[in-house]
Amino acid sequence: MLNNLLKKLIKASAGRTRFIMAVTGLSVALLLILSAVQLQVNYNHLLHGKSNKDSIANFLVLNKAVTAETIGATALSAADIQQLKQQPFIDAVGLLTPSGFKVSAQGGSAQLPFYTDLFFESVPDEFIDVVDKDWNWSEEAQYVPVIIPNMFLDLYNFGFATSQGLPQLTQDLVKSLPLKISITTPMGNVPYYARVIGFSDRISSVLVPQNFMTWANKRFASEVRTQPSRVVIKTSDPGNPQLVEYLKKHGLTTDADKTRFSKYRQIVNTVVNISGITGGLMLLFALLIFTLFIQLTIASCKEEITLLIALGAAPAQLYRFLMRRFFPSNVVVIVVVLAVIAAAQFALAEFLQQQSMYVMHLISPFTILAGVIILAVLWLVNSSTIKKYIRQS
Amino acid sequence: MELVLQNLIPIPLRDKLSQRNSDIWNTQKTLKQGEWIKVKAPSGTGKTTLVHILYRLRNDYTGHVLWNGKEEQRFSAAELAVLRQSAVSVVFQDLRLFSQLTARENIELNRVLPASGTHYESTVIDAMAERLGVTHILQQRAGLCSYGEQQRIAIIRALVQPFQWLLMDEPFSHLDEENTRKAAALIAEECEKRGAGFILTDLDEDRHLPYTTFYNL
Repeated sequence: MLNNLLKKLIKASAGRTRFIMAVTGLSVALLLILSAVQLQVNYNHLLHGKSNKDSIANFLVLNKAVTAETIGATALSAADIQQLKQQPFIDAVGLLTPSGFKVSAQGGSAQLPFYTDLFFESVPDEFIDVVDKDWNWSEEAQYVPVIIPNMFLDLYNFGFATSQGLPQLTQDLVKSLPLKISITTPMGNVPYYARVIGFSDRISSVLVPQNFMTWANKRFASEVRTQPSRVVIKTSDPGNPQLVEYLKKHGLTTDADKTRFSKYRQIVNTVVNISGITGGLMLLFALLIFTLFIQLTIASCKEEITLLIALGAAPAQLYRFLMRRFFPSNVVVIVVVLAVIAAAQFALAEFLQQQSMYVMHLISPFTILAGVIILAVLWLVNSSTIKKYIRQS
Repeated sequence: MELVLQNLIPIPLRDKLSQRNSDIWNTQKTLKQGEWIKVKAPSGTGKTTLVHILYRLRNDYTGHVLWNGKEEQRFSAAELAVLRQSAVSVVFQDLRLFSQLTARENIELNRVLPASGTHYESTVIDAMAERLGVTHILQQRAGLCSYGEQQRIAIIRALVQPFQWLLMDEPFSHLDEENTRKAAALIAEECEKRGAGFILTDLDEDRHLPYTTFYNL
């Protein structure tokens, strides 16, 4: 009975239009804030999410830039490598082991008449992009598997072959042709058979299995070179401006194509940071508006509150009643706004999927957390405003 | 419930009061429960101020008001609510009804307010309204009622709650003689039933009620 009377009293004095305005204002402001949070999450996901990464771009071959000062001194010291390993934006470092012996190769059949001097390098298997069952070697093996850069074949097919009137070769053909290699040792030449088993887009070198390299270096090397001059790094984000900055500072170079993205990234980062600051300011502004709207709604019942207290309404009871009257609408607004964002997020994910960009279909927990925090703030504002008016009475 | 006034002086009236004597201001008075007190006061002598101080609507005074020996200023908000719900009722000079509620809802609100339980059944409202001749406006919004009607509603509102003291500030100012007589009879009856006392302030001498004590403000 008492609650019915209070309800009628507060409803009549709060005013329908004002209440609708307050709820609308609250909804719009909340929608903006929570969307901003969700968009930030999406942006991070697009940038750092696993499914959006290019597998090739995650590996970079680094070496010292060859300049007038560094000629003949491009080896990377142990300290250099250790420092690389410690950088937060580098996940792993693989050393390219050079061969300490001379190698020559010639076509093992009439279809491929050529002779060339050659070098080998090796790198731990996890840094190689060509996975093949033939990529292994033992002392009993009949041939040494070799991986050559894809670029070599392109150079031959589109530069060499066309200008010299030679036939173009397919990858499969090259793989099927045996190569004769000859390793020059102090005791004379040692012949081997080799076979190209893959073409790498990642490492521009002639690669042999690591165990062959270890074995061959031990056996044939005229001098033991311990210092590698090139390394492969694995990074989660080759476009990371920090990485580019680090390479520049230490005189290291890599495939510029892969790091070029960092400039765009830097611009996007700046824009996102600025929008983050704007978002923060907007949050403050929106909270201010909430507070004003809530105070306005409650202030419109100020006279009634004063008279109720004067007639003997218990403050605690009146507080509970007013909280029940004003707070649930805030909860409803937040739930509705979260539902709208969840629906929008689903639609956005579907749309982006068509463009091969992947974001979560579900609303982010951060957005929900932000909603809960804002709800807590709203509760505080409601509570303190009501208490203030009750105390003033 | 005993009401004690000690050297009460409203701050806005301090200069004025230093130049004249009063039965209430700046004296020591003990008002016993069941006393029917008439306070006669010309305009501007603090009639409404007195009622508001006793009801603790204002604090701008020096001296002390003790309800049953407890300093009025020491009451917490919750204790004050209990005092107003069950021990002290009031008829304001400016009536103070909720204009959006109907006359009946205004009375009902005060009837159901005490946390300790209602003093009267809802039907009592009809009986009282009948006696004061306001039955026809019970369903009307209080804001639309005439002052005379509002005053009678305010009186009924004050009488449906439990009380030991009834404070009334010119309760008959908008009523004609006949209606004043009816209202006074109802008030007297209700106070007798409860063994309650009242403090009634008015501008002039009157014999509406059988007062036991007279004071000049």
